Amino acid sequence: MLTVISHIIDDIGGGIFFLGDVIRVVSRHKISFSRVADQIWKVTTQSMTTTALAGFFVGAISTIQFTMQVKEFGALGYLGGLATSGTIREVGPLLIAFMLSGKVGAYTSAELGTMKVTEQIDAIRCLGANPILEIILPRFIGIIVSSFFLLAAGLMMSIVGGLVMGIIFAHINPQEYLRHIPTIVTWSSLVSGLFKCLCFALVLATICTYKGYTTTGGARGVGTSVVNTAVSTMVGIVIMDWLTSLVGESVMTVVMGL
Amino acid sequence: MIRFENVVKSFGERTILKGVSFEVQEGEILFILGTSGTGKSVLLKNIVGLLRPTSGQIWIGDDEVSQLTEEQYFPVRKICGMVFQHPALFDSLTIFENVAFGLRRHYPEMAVEQIQEKVITSLSLVGIHGVEQKMPAQLSYGMQKRVSLARTVAIDPRILLFDEPTTGLDPVTTNAINHLIQGLSRKLKTTSLVVSHDMHCALDIADRIIVLDKGNIVEQGTPEELKKSEHPLVKDFLMEALNAHGH
Repeated sequence: MLTVISHIIDDIGGGIFFLGDVIRVVSRHKISFSRVADQIWKVTTQSMTTTALAGFFVGAISTIQFTMQVKEFGALGYLGGLATSGTIREVGPLLIAFMLSGKVGAYTSAELGTMKVTEQIDAIRCLGANPILEIILPRFIGIIVSSFFLLAAGLMMSIVGGLVMGIIFAHINPQEYLRHIPTIVTWSSLVSGLFKCLCFALVLATICTYKGYTTTGGARGVGTSVVNTAVSTMVGIVIMDWLTSLVGESVMTVVMGL
Repeated sequence: MIRFENVVKSFGERTILKGVSFEVQEGEILFILGTSGTGKSVLLKNIVGLLRPTSGQIWIGDDEVSQLTEEQYFPVRKICGMVFQHPALFDSLTIFENVAFGLRRHYPEMAVEQIQEKVITSLSLVGIHGVEQKMPAQLSYGMQKRVSLARTVAIDPRILLFDEPTTGLDPVTTNAINHLIQGLSRKLKTTSLVVSHDMHCALDIADRIIVLDKGNIVEQGTPEELKKSEHPLVKDFLMEALNAHGH
């Protein structure tokens, strides 16, 4: 038990120091825009279809769930607003993070892990380059930036999914469904969703690059890194969700009086 | 050129190098032999700063390098080229870009035409032509090893470090790579350290041989001196070389 706790503390500490190294490199070096753009394109196109599909069904599920609640109060007109608000504030960012964790997180960790065990990262250092600048940073920024594009796509598809389900399941017309979205979905909902998206992407980018970069032990080590990445990112994202919800709500209540 | 003074390297409780001291003269080809897990690769990685010694000193020329920071190591890596056990080519880059990688970092002032010329020359040195636009996966393992060697020599290092350069190669390619190492070292006038467990090859091309066992140097000398060694491990190596090559 003590060993497990010590491993977890060791991992968290290592991840924080690694993040510190990444931030230090960002502040000291010029980042290659083309390499970052390449990663953003790669991550976004890799996950766009699945994110959009999942977004569609999340919107549909939210609508079904909210229909049952609002019908009781005769407030079907608020269905679109409530379902969209819930998706933007909570489900959307979480969904994107889980999608990215499964696809991009595991892929990045495996790619970097393989580079580590085949001595490519050592070769980068020997050839006069900084591996964090050359290979970590483009992937790190790529994951964070593309998560916003994917969030936007996922949310749009969730509105479409919700709308379709609203018409089919709740027999509500499209104008009625969309009418209260601007009233219920406030700027604070949007900021909250974007902030969560940023935090989740940060957790994911840190864990998958750190796990890949510190891989040891050949093919078996790469496998272990990928599994650890999947587990750690899921746990990390859920904890971050709880933390951002707690802090976000407190800040909204105290500072903005909401 | 390179001097180890009582170098100790530990990983946690495990001590891999137990106070190793030796010297390599300029222009010399030194082979470091030993069984697997005796710390040969660890020794090489300490020279190029991929690992740092727990204690002791490492001198390259007149500079003590064991305490340098990662940034301070940059000029050391310009004069110390390392060829890894794996080809370690970057999968996403063409052969040209792989060889040009170190040139662009170590010589940022170099013009595009100069880089182009240097890449072609370096690939020719290892006997490779016309594959510049191919990806590493399109080449055989032996060719990838050669490209890896070309990438290292492209930056004009004064010291060449080879970490088991013939592992995983067939006997013909092994022989070709070994003679390439010898040829390049003589032609480029570099100091070369070769980590290996191939005694036959060491006897063939080394100026001097060090035998490492359990983190200690147990024997060192010229090939002729080693042939007369009474140390059991050296005798085993000699016997193995004799059996494998029949002389």
